[in-house]
Amino acid sequence: MLDIAKIEWLKIRSYSAFWWVLGITAVAYPGLNGIILMIYHKAMGTMNLPEQKARLMMGDPFGFNEVWHTVGYFSSWFIFIPAILVIMLMTNEYSFRTHRQNIIDGWTRKQFLTGKLLDVGIVTLLIVVFYLLACVVIGLKNITVGERTSGSQVYFIAYFTLQTFSQLSIAFLISFLVRNTAISLTVFIVGFLVLEPILGRILKVGGTGIEHFLPFEISNRLIPPPGFWGHLDPASYQLSMNQAGNHAGYTIVFTTILWFFCFRLNSRRDL
Amino acid sequence: MTVLELKNIHKSFGDTKALKGVSFEIPAGSIFGILGPNGSGKTTLLGIMLDVLKADSGSFTWFDEPEGENPRKRIGTLLETPNFYHYLSATSNLEITRRISKRGAREDVEHVLRKVQLYERRKSRFSSYSLGMKQRLAIGAALLGTPSVLVLDEPTNGLDPEGIAEVRELIADLNEQGHTIIIASHLLDEVEKVCTHVAILKNGDLLSCGSVKEILADEDWVELSAKNLPALNAAMSQYPGLLHHRIEQTLVLAAFAKDAVDLEAVNEFCYRQGVKLTHMLLRKQRLEARFFELIQK
Repeated sequence: MLDIAKIEWLKIRSYSAFWWVLGITAVAYPGLNGIILMIYHKAMGTMNLPEQKARLMMGDPFGFNEVWHTVGYFSSWFIFIPAILVIMLMTNEYSFRTHRQNIIDGWTRKQFLTGKLLDVGIVTLLIVVFYLLACVVIGLKNITVGERTSGSQVYFIAYFTLQTFSQLSIAFLISFLVRNTAISLTVFIVGFLVLEPILGRILKVGGTGIEHFLPFEISNRLIPPPGFWGHLDPASYQLSMNQAGNHAGYTIVFTTILWFFCFRLNSRRDL
Repeated sequence: MTVLELKNIHKSFGDTKALKGVSFEIPAGSIFGILGPNGSGKTTLLGIMLDVLKADSGSFTWFDEPEGENPRKRIGTLLETPNFYHYLSATSNLEITRRISKRGAREDVEHVLRKVQLYERRKSRFSSYSLGMKQRLAIGAALLGTPSVLVLDEPTNGLDPEGIAEVRELIADLNEQGHTIIIASHLLDEVEKVCTHVAILKNGDLLSCGSVKEILADEDWVELSAKNLPALNAAMSQYPGLLHHRIEQTLVLAAFAKDAVDLEAVNEFCYRQGVKLTHMLLRKQRLEARFFELIQK
């Protein structure tokens, strides 16, 4: 496994496009959360209420405790940025035909795909690092002197990690099947932003709840909208928070099946 | 000892049958040519041998070893199109090959780069190389760690005459050192110069397989010529013991079983049939002629 990781690192380390997109991701995650924080502060300001009262209404989504949840939620909107990295790392192999060469040189098909699984894992970890940095910086900026902090929502770090890995795995699956960077990215973005929301609405009409199990939604439900939105519909908020744990299980099952499918297909198909 | 044993390999792409039950063995230490016209199944067969294509049925074994040992690490491969990471340098690309194949030490990368004359450009990106340089890098990758078997698919493609001669010399050198070399090629002249064994494919069928001597040795050819070529051709069709014959430009080529031809008897037979021969020559059969005979059957 370590040998495979070292070889993947050799492939990545001199790939300038990877570092450019990673740089954009590194700026985008804290930056976008920073913009949302500014909007939040502006909204607080327009309420014309004393801070304590405003906080009672809005909660403290960017203070320690809820920040893990809030930043995780908003960060998950931008999954398509690291998805570019995952898609590039797979479709490059097809473009250069190195997916064949690696096998010819002596890797088993399983080892090749393990390398790609590691790539998705590495990108996930990098995204989680950016998310943590954003959480810590935003949390520290919003800490109030004398305020009691709590770690009760720290578990959202694990949920965010799982959600990112699951959705990047979908990006991988698309690139694995489509084999072309531009088409893969289009399919991913259209699926994430257009197709799945439309399908979700259609399925919701039936009232069976099956829309909760669509590929992205299954992990989106790990991080429900943050607390201050919950004030608008507390019952629904509480329900989604309660269901997050179940969705962790569903996401693990879904992602495992996805990778099992990739390994199985790769072991049988022509390269 | 057998390096590779193929048993009844079948492969189809949709309705097209690319390989129809191909079986043969490649002896250790041989230079084995896989010949065939375009679409005969050469590249498909190589793909199956190297595990980039999956056979529909049949099996193959490298080095008489059980499955799972991953014998490809002992095989250097040079494909028609060199496959490398375009954004990486020659050194990084070879380092990836070395680590995957586990052939050779780190110093071997430098050694191989000198051998294929790319050392000065070792830090340049692969994408900046000319076709010849790319091919040389692929040769370098195939030679890394001196593998026991080399698989070459059209190895002289894209090379200038000097490069072709170098590759030919390299193949001979490696074979002398005991390496087995498998070459897929449509350049019959090239194959005849270097190969000890050949397999001839056509439309996915194995037409013939064995040592070059065996394949060429089963027939003797006689060149015949006369003023009236159609009459000579008609006369020869009556000749007892003739295997087959054809007109080729100003000659009638007649095939006899090995060592069965009596030139005096042929001359006398033609004379009796009213055809005076102007030319008669017993010639050594060339692989090219044998190849065309087989694929035209």
